[in-house]
Amino acid sequence: MRSVIRSFLRHLVRRRSLSILQLLGIALGVAATVGMMLASRSALQSLGTAVDFLKGGTTHTIARPAGPMEETVLAGIMGDPAVRYFAPVIDRRVRLKGGEQVRMLGLDPFLDRNVRSITARIGVSAGDGKTDEAFSSFLFDSRAVLVDENMAKDLGLSAGSIIATLQGPLKVVQVFSNPSGEPLVIIDVGHAQEFFRMKGYVDRADLVVTDENAFRQRWATGFAIESNAQKARTLSALLGAFKLNLEALSLFALFVGIFLIYNTAMFAVVTRRRDAGVLLAIGASRGQVTGAFLVEVLLLGVAGGALGGVLGYLLSKFLVEIVGSTISTLYFFLRPSALPWSFWNLAGGMLLGSAASIVGSLPPLLELRRVRPVHVLRGRTATRGMSKRMGTIALFGTACLAFALVLFGLSFLHVYVGFAGAFAFLLGASLFAGFVIVVAAPGMKHLFSRAMGLAGRIAIGNIRENLGRTSVAVAAFMIALSMSIGLGSMIDSFRRSLVWWMDSQLRGDLYISTKADVNVPEELYEELKTLPGIGGIDVFRNVPITFHGRPASITSIDASVLERYDRFGWLEGGDGSWERMKRGDVIVSESFSRRFKVGQGSRVTIETARGPAEFLVAGVYYDYASEHGVIMMDRSVYLRLFGDRTINSLGIFIDEGNPDRVKIIEEVKHRARAFGLPFATREEFHGRILDIFDSTFAVTRSMRVLAVIVAFFGIAGALMTFFVERQKEFGVYRALGFTTGDVARMTVAESLGLGLVSFLMSAVVGTVFALILIKVINLQSFNWTIFYHFTTRPYLVTGLTALAASVAACAYPVWSVVRKYPVMQIREE
Amino acid sequence: MSMTPSIIRTYDLWKQYETEGHDGMALRGVDLSIGKGQIVALFGKSGSGKTTLLNLLAGLDEPTRGRIEIEGEDLGALGERGRTLLRRHKLGFVFQFFNLLPTLTAEENVLLSLELAGRPDERLARESLDLVGLAGKEIRFPHELSGGEQQRVAIARALVKKPPIILADEPTGNLDSATGAQILALLTGRCRDAGTTLIMVSHALNTCEYADRVLRMTDGRLFEEISCEGLAP
Repeated sequence: MRSVIRSFLRHLVRRRSLSILQLLGIALGVAATVGMMLASRSALQSLGTAVDFLKGGTTHTIARPAGPMEETVLAGIMGDPAVRYFAPVIDRRVRLKGGEQVRMLGLDPFLDRNVRSITARIGVSAGDGKTDEAFSSFLFDSRAVLVDENMAKDLGLSAGSIIATLQGPLKVVQVFSNPSGEPLVIIDVGHAQEFFRMKGYVDRADLVVTDENAFRQRWATGFAIESNAQKARTLSALLGAFKLNLEALSLFALFVGIFLIYNTAMFAVVTRRRDAGVLLAIGASRGQVTGAFLVEVLLLGVAGGALGGVLGYLLSKFLVEIVGSTISTLYFFLRPSALPWSFWNLAGGMLLGSAASIVGSLPPLLELRRVRPVHVLRGRTATRGMSKRMGTIALFGTACLAFALVLFGLSFLHVYVGFAGAFAFLLGASLFAGFVIVVAAPGMKHLFSRAMGLAGRIAIGNIRENLGRTSVAVAAFMIALSMSIGLGSMIDSFRRSLVWWMDSQLRGDLYISTKADVNVPEELYEELKTLPGIGGIDVFRNVPITFHGRPASITSIDASVLERYDRFGWLEGGDGSWERMKRGDVIVSESFSRRFKVGQGSRVTIETARGPAEFLVAGVYYDYASEHGVIMMDRSVYLRLFGDRTINSLGIFIDEGNPDRVKIIEEVKHRARAFGLPFATREEFHGRILDIFDSTFAVTRSMRVLAVIVAFFGIAGALMTFFVERQKEFGVYRALGFTTGDVARMTVAESLGLGLVSFLMSAVVGTVFALILIKVINLQSFNWTIFYHFTTRPYLVTGLTALAASVAACAYPVWSVVRKYPVMQIREE
Repeated sequence: MSMTPSIIRTYDLWKQYETEGHDGMALRGVDLSIGKGQIVALFGKSGSGKTTLLNLLAGLDEPTRGRIEIEGEDLGALGERGRTLLRRHKLGFVFQFFNLLPTLTAEENVLLSLELAGRPDERLARESLDLVGLAGKEIRFPHELSGGEQQRVAIARALVKKPPIILADEPTGNLDSATGAQILALLTGRCRDAGTTLIMVSHALNTCEYADRVLRMTDGRLFEEISCEGLAP
């Protein structure tokens, strides 16, 4: 057995360049998966660290269901027998003069030190433990703040520095360590009330509760009580769909990677067939031959997997930045730091590489097991004359597609069923590769014959006659290109749907502040109402809530203003819903409707400051603002039930044709500026949303690139397999008078032919894949409808990518031809 | 016919290949008996069924009809595993295109045969190479050897495990006539020394001179030739 294994393994050294190609193929597939999973895990771990750091020793939080909580209730909460420790908190954001927003916590330095380490260390010198003047300064100076070390480092701050904000300067009295990575400013809670103009209110109280049930019973009406476990679940649920999509992308990359492994393993089998035949003839058993091949596969899998583990770790360092910035843009601030290097990256990579290698090598392994020494010793290759089998394989493909359809029909059960359907579809489509080559060959032969002469005609014949090799290469390349077209079309369709949504729902002439910005003082709203020429002002307020244990939000707006100026797209109901909203009904977003199975005429019960309140749903509208769902109500209803007068932003509407439009807008800007508030015109606001949208898909785009790289190796591997299998044929070409240039041209034509047929298939498969992403995956993950829009860009970009990859993939094979062809002869050894 | 006991017997052996256009009948009722230690030359035109018969005797292929016995054992009853063991212990193979494993050195190629037979012995492998005149070339890879040298390695590989039967398919077909003659002398000489039965499929008429018995195949049928003269075209 040793000699059998040795004879196989020495091939790896003899064909170094191909072994490296094979190794890189496995490594890239594994790297994509490991990188994505590590990035996703580091995001969740950082989230955990951030939550743990800020919660300290608290067990629960209590707040009003929406908006701030009156100070008057605090004494009652503090005196509750189930509450051991109590700490009031103001949790807001402040915009620095440079434009950056940071989180600002108002904490009580006496009450808070029982539950959090940050406040316990105010005024404590790092070394000697003595109190110093920082504590008194924090207590008595209304602008005194603590800043975290990361922010201090970024902005070059130290004790005594001044931070300029849109709401005035703040004075740093101490810098504290913050493992969460989130820029954080701490201020005394009383000073925070002044700073945010919320005298008599706090946002919440953090508690250490000893008897949860008793406490909940006593504070059930008008309050939202959340345990830390619930909070962690809510935050994790917020990231659920995002994480799922990341993992799905990495699995798609691995899927393409397995194709590549199949391709390279098939190459290994091609180069071993003769040896296997000889070994069987002289007495080796099939088990010994396949065992030796398995050792080779595993060796490559382990080595490629280890390399993939290391590359994946390095990739995660890059991806974690993108993932962090996307999560910060879409959900909440998160600066995930890449996970430290661990032995498990290597072990996991090796395991994944071995598993993928075995899966990808199974069909070649079976081919090797079926090798008949009689055939091999006669010099027959395994793949000629496979066109009949391609029809059978296409039938299996049809069965896969039918199975995919069934899975799509069942995708309402779970989004994973939809993903399984997408995999089944891609697998089914890939099984058509050989059939498509057979069907397309005559047309391609004509085309290539005209373009490249005899070399082109022979090249297409070679593709057609070596289906066992070419169909796999085409399948792998086609899947990668389809992913590119599918993801590209989905992103373009989504972008267009978003533009439509913005044009119909965000029609204000000017927006003062936004949901993510600082709040708007009510005085400004009152002031603007008196300004002549303004047609309407929409007062926007959005508060996160937990509905049936899952995150959602309530938005309050001015129904009469939106009725007049906006053009909502309705799934159910219509513009008549506005009248009903004024009378106390609500409308819900599509994502809310789908997630909670709520439609027009349904009733929803939500916790308000006055206890539970039931609402009739007047309509369901298209919305891309939140995947978690929105209940929208008129501001008058919101104020009555929640008593929260906070305003997140104002939308200013001016009647079309108003001659003073520009002047009025300038006046509003001027007044907003006086309050230190940011503003944006409709175009600027829309542009900002589109920027966020584009940055959200940065991860997706990076995966597209990776898939194409993996596929590139697939084509290169297939061409090299060709080269090795047809050494004898090349001798015949030489005898017939083909020059090196002719054969090199033939190799280029083979590569371009494979690229062309892959692209043609991907144009169809990619379009269907886009529809699957839009109609099944996105609908299940995010619960919103994306309207399919045909755009040529994804097809053009992918076509050019296919061309570039085909040309690049044939570089090495052409070099081999140039180097070896001149000395080839018609002989066996 | 031979006076020595039979080591190979075939009974009414037929072989048909699935081919389009014609019946693809490669063997048509071959009855054969070969004695222990006999050197047999098997002649015939291309496509006459010589290699098919050799493959059937080696258990590499299965007959459509008929029976083969090697040392009294029915090949059909042995099964895949049994036939593999048979090739390992009782058969040696010499091919026209040498079929050495390109990634193993000359010595390792010979050792491979011993390893498969369950008796790995590097000294024996070196001795075997020495016997075929390749002393000093043990660590060379096949591509570093001439055609004749490669075939010597193949002969050493077949002989080293001392099998009772060696099957040689056109052993000189890829060599010049002088080298071919040397190889035939070497192969038959070693087989005679060891008392090994040798069946050589060949086109080369001079093979006849080295054989105890001459057989000819025509259209899948086997005929016994009395002398080499009858083979002349």
